[in-house]
Amino acid sequence: MEAVLWYVFTGTRGGENRARILRALDERPRNANQLAEDLDLDYKTIRHHLDVLRDNEIVENSGDDYGTVYLPSDKVRRHWDTVETILEKVE
Amino acid sequence: MTLWFDVARVAIVINLVLLLGLGYVWGRNYAKFRSKHTLGLLLFSAILLVENGFALYIYTLDPVLSVWIAQVPPPAQRAMTLLRVSEAAALGVLTWATWD
Repeated sequence: MEAVLWYVFTGTRGGENRARILRALDERPRNANQLAEDLDLDYKTIRHHLDVLRDNEIVENSGDDYGTVYLPSDKVRRHWDTVETILEKVE
Repeated sequence: MTLWFDVARVAIVINLVLLLGLGYVWGRNYAKFRSKHTLGLLLFSAILLVENGFALYIYTLDPVLSVWIAQVPPPAQRAMTLLRVSEAAALGVLTWATWD
């Protein structure tokens, strides 16, 4: 999990935005539309990042319907020290 | 038998382009995150960039070596080219995952 976190957030082109998304979801769960608005990112970009984060089991969603809310997964909670270290570096 | 020699030169140029792309992403991320992990990736791309830059030099520019390498017997030329091409394939996969 540690290596996945480092790669997904600091090894890829979209890592910084994914880190911003995870921090926003840590503050409070949100859906894709709210994330797009709050982070001033394109809706499609948000959707793509959420898919990557879900594929890597970093976030989970509350259901499959439209407007579903995302939150940090239990798995990522167990490695929150690493996440903190990474998120500290992002405005 | 210059086909394999030419393929190797094309592969070297592709490697250089891919490594510049990877170095750009990892360099930017290192500036941001300052992590050991990103530094490792950045150094990895930098060292392979130097390696391929040197290969490009001896394959195309060096007046003595480029002639020698062009005349390497076909089985050896093929083997050397396959190493370059597999490196290009590996870097292609890595770039695909990193550009995301």
